[in-house]
Amino acid sequence: MNPTASGGSTVTSLLEEYRVRDGVFDEAFGAGRGLRPFCEPLFSSLDRLGRHELASRRENARRAIRDNGVTYNVYGDPAGSDRPWTLDMVPLPIAAAEWIRIEAGLVQRARLLNTILGDLYGPMRLVGEGVLPPSLIHANPAFLRPCHGIDVPGGVRLHLLAVDLARSPDGQWRVLSDRTQAPSGAGYALENRIVLSRSLPEAFRECQVPQLSAFFRAHRDGLAMLAPPLSRDPRVVVLTPGPLNETYFEHAYLARYLGFTLVEGGDLTCRDGRVFIKTLDRLQPVDVILRRLDDSYCDPLELRAESTLGVAGLVEAVRAGHVTVANALGSGLTETPGIAAFLPDLCRRLLGEELLLQPARSWWCGHPDDLTYVLEHAQDLVIKRALPHAAAPPIFGRLLTREQLRALRSALRARPEEFVGQREVALSVAPSWSGQAFHPRQAVLRAYVAVAGDSWVVMPGGLTRTGADDGEPIVSMQRGGGSKDTWIIGDEPPQAASLLPPAQVRVRREQHGTDLPSRVADNLFWLGRQVERAEQTVRLLRSFVTAATREDTAARTPEVAALERLLVALGAWPASAADDDVSLPSLEHTLTELFSPDGPESTLRAPLADIRRIAMSVRDRLSLDTWRILSQLQADFTLRRGRLQVDDVLQHLNQLVTDLAAFAGMEMENMTRGYGWRFLDMGRRLERALETARLVRSALAVANPVTTVLASLLEIADSSMTYRRRYFAEPQLPPVLDLLLGDTTNTRALAFQLNALTDHLAQLPHDDASAQVNHQAARLAAAAQLLDRADFAELGLTGEDQDYGPLLHLLDQMDEPLLGLSDALAASYFSHAEVRVSQ
Amino acid sequence: MRYDVTHTTRYRYTDAVLLSHHVARLSPLTLPHQTCLSQEIEIDPAPAITRRHRDFYGNEMTFFIMEGAHHELRVTARSRVEVHRPAMPGPLADAPWESARDHEQLPLDVIEYAFDSPAIRPTEEVAHYARPSFTPGRPLLEAVLELVERIHADFRFDPQATTVATPLADVMRLRRGVCQDFSQLGIGCLRTMGLAARYVSGYIETLPPPGQPRLVGADASHAWLSVYCPGAGWIDLDPTNNVVPGEMHITLARGRDYGDVSPLRGVMLGGGEHQLSVAVDVLRLDA
Repeated sequence: MNPTASGGSTVTSLLEEYRVRDGVFDEAFGAGRGLRPFCEPLFSSLDRLGRHELASRRENARRAIRDNGVTYNVYGDPAGSDRPWTLDMVPLPIAAAEWIRIEAGLVQRARLLNTILGDLYGPMRLVGEGVLPPSLIHANPAFLRPCHGIDVPGGVRLHLLAVDLARSPDGQWRVLSDRTQAPSGAGYALENRIVLSRSLPEAFRECQVPQLSAFFRAHRDGLAMLAPPLSRDPRVVVLTPGPLNETYFEHAYLARYLGFTLVEGGDLTCRDGRVFIKTLDRLQPVDVILRRLDDSYCDPLELRAESTLGVAGLVEAVRAGHVTVANALGSGLTETPGIAAFLPDLCRRLLGEELLLQPARSWWCGHPDDLTYVLEHAQDLVIKRALPHAAAPPIFGRLLTREQLRALRSALRARPEEFVGQREVALSVAPSWSGQAFHPRQAVLRAYVAVAGDSWVVMPGGLTRTGADDGEPIVSMQRGGGSKDTWIIGDEPPQAASLLPPAQVRVRREQHGTDLPSRVADNLFWLGRQVERAEQTVRLLRSFVTAATREDTAARTPEVAALERLLVALGAWPASAADDDVSLPSLEHTLTELFSPDGPESTLRAPLADIRRIAMSVRDRLSLDTWRILSQLQADFTLRRGRLQVDDVLQHLNQLVTDLAAFAGMEMENMTRGYGWRFLDMGRRLERALETARLVRSALAVANPVTTVLASLLEIADSSMTYRRRYFAEPQLPPVLDLLLGDTTNTRALAFQLNALTDHLAQLPHDDASAQVNHQAARLAAAAQLLDRADFAELGLTGEDQDYGPLLHLLDQMDEPLLGLSDALAASYFSHAEVRVSQ
Repeated sequence: MRYDVTHTTRYRYTDAVLLSHHVARLSPLTLPHQTCLSQEIEIDPAPAITRRHRDFYGNEMTFFIMEGAHHELRVTARSRVEVHRPAMPGPLADAPWESARDHEQLPLDVIEYAFDSPAIRPTEEVAHYARPSFTPGRPLLEAVLELVERIHADFRFDPQATTVATPLADVMRLRRGVCQDFSQLGIGCLRTMGLAARYVSGYIETLPPPGQPRLVGADASHAWLSVYCPGAGWIDLDPTNNVVPGEMHITLARGRDYGDVSPLRGVMLGGGEHQLSVAVDVLRLDA
């Protein structure tokens, strides 16, 4: 690329290889193939970085995305439900002067669509006066009859609107579609911005890009304002379909960023015509629901009965005016493709203005003239269903065979009102960084408009998605495309803004973190149990491998043999491998299997899979640091490929121990001492108590004499140092028992766990429902007393027949109250009742 | 004719229901040929909250919430209704059926019933079944009466064969069903021919006057269909009994299909399995 006359650019090296395509609008290059002047600061900055630096920054950006757990669930992807988000190093550049026009068009569109919704869910004049064909509404499954006639505060049904925009070859931005019920992507746009502005600080500064935070603040305040006037401390929740949804990451991310509670349908309940969130100790009223659930799933009573993702009675609560749902229930109606053809006319009629952002030219086949046109030009058009139809993707006429075209035409003639023809927008392209060079990629911009009181605010930027390759006519994350940040490049420095809380925030001191939904308490409890279970297994394996490779690896010492039996008994080692010799190759073979991605179920793999699943569903409750540790834990477990060497394994196991310790550290030092922490810690304590009892019991059963494994037991229970310091002697059973079971100062001892559990239980909310828990707490205290009184010198005496009857009996007496407690907590605090629908 | 209608619905649950939400459509409409003189709905145990509204179709709906554990729910609707014989269709009903196909000529509140609805998505089989009755130029009423007669003859009343959720395609295959299936089939047939048709839920007299046969569907809630005839308005037809409803049919609610007018629906939290029993008593009052 030569320096251009228009920009006087000095950008040469990297962009020289960029091939501007003929007949396609390029966002960065104008006529004459010169860099557009406003893009110059961006590309000269990128160019200055050079190929290697860009590659390294891209790697950093990728790591940031992975560490932050930015994922996008692709339905039906065998590689697992969450796929890392992909972000291009080159943002989509838009000139500030042009953005002003787009912004005006977006605001107009939000006003227009909101007005249309107000009419269709109210007087329905547009249908009555023949402006909109009745079939687009009355045959439309997106028209929710139970929501007709419901008033909404301020007449606002669209609190957040997303508009997919593409630039056609004539340089005009065209609307591809509107997202009006639960628009996704705003959170990804924010995360893209955070990552990219950190990766390219120089370019970001030079381009004078406006920040996104003011938009989110307006959105947040706009939602809080929807609360009924008497609500002094409005509670806004984000309603998610759950971790399996494609954009679940974003639900948790936005909830945390905006300071709202993330809930699933089961966390909410409608009583007395109001909506409440079910927390551990009471029901707390909800004022505003920012829902990420599609319209028809929101209420199994009055809407789609098959779905239990929603909240029974929600429509009635909205009707009574006790809660506001954003966007309003039924607002998906304006996503109807058939309505697009009528928007220019509707805009004139309803707003008295010309439509600023034109849709792709559309023909609704219900009009005879339009049908004729579409029949004649079907091969050049995109044919869509006129009504929202999940199972019918758009048909690109140009891709059809003659036979398929004939079939399409007869379908059009048979039920013309069900189809629209749309001119295909030849998408513009923008440079993307492939890792080596810039390449043109098709781009679609998703822009956002939010309501704040009585005005509309546009996000200065948006989520840009790029085509996977040149052939694909649909740009979609579901189809493997990538994403870009969107930079409005201005001449003036942007106004500084950040997400600060509004002025008078009252100090709220929550002693227990009372907004903890029962579901979250349940999940945290199990997270604690599984983390502890994983740690126990890792420690078992590490002790075994250390012992097996200590000196003479060829011979099976009594200690190694006993340890192997212990691991098999505890499920940490495959029984099939126990008969093999303990030669290095066979040991390495078994370990390789244990850690390989398609290895057998094991006491390590199962808890790690659970940790991953649970962490996902409570991720709005975990700090970013905690999340990073858990991601690292998963990575450290699965990273290894190929055959493992023993010293690799040790390093590997050490790393896992460190990860788990880091998690425990976060738990101890960085979590508020609310109910959330208590349930997490109770899970850990309960599991550790059970595991310790099992460990001792199994050791007595498999090791003869038991002294062969005592050193390992101390190692597994992380108590070797204490033992050495205290006794200066080879391990013997009575003092080991005392240290692992009875010592209330040893954080690994059974007695310590029982005391910790007793303390937690005393702090839980108590009411009639917790009687069962109280009962178990009493049993637990009794068990602790038994331990306290136990004479380990007596119990640990090795009789002639190796019979530890009294000791085993004591251990059995520990199990019962522990298991009973787990059940009692579930019954008293976690809601598990199933929802049934009767029609 | 005056009637006292008692409609009792009883749910028995194996486990306690902790919370449930319900919508009942159990209040008879007041129409040109029918007056609802009095109406009450008794709910036992007492609900936490009750609200009444008109729904999108003009039916009265009662929303209520049951809070607190219960093993049984009984909803009793008592209504006193006066029914007159609907006006006979005028001569316009003799216009060719094709004249009713033009949606642009239909009043706005009728168009709603001209399209597929959640429970009535007619297949090609349904259209195939309907066609023989709609020969070119045939008077609308004549064609519809014949369709209803054919459904009555071809399909057997069998309460065991279907449930409230059985799709039309299965009814076509089984050739069996109850009033709900026959009505929805008839509606599907009419809609595939381009006509507007709606679903009517209601009751018929339990004990007929001496000398008249006891109609099928008594002792339970009943359903029939209604077809729109430009110029003449809605005309009701009962495919289960192959009759044009008169003074013995009491209209409860109207909608696109069963889903819009279900007499009592609910979402329960807990409850295990439930057992449902319904009893309807329609008593003619001496004039």
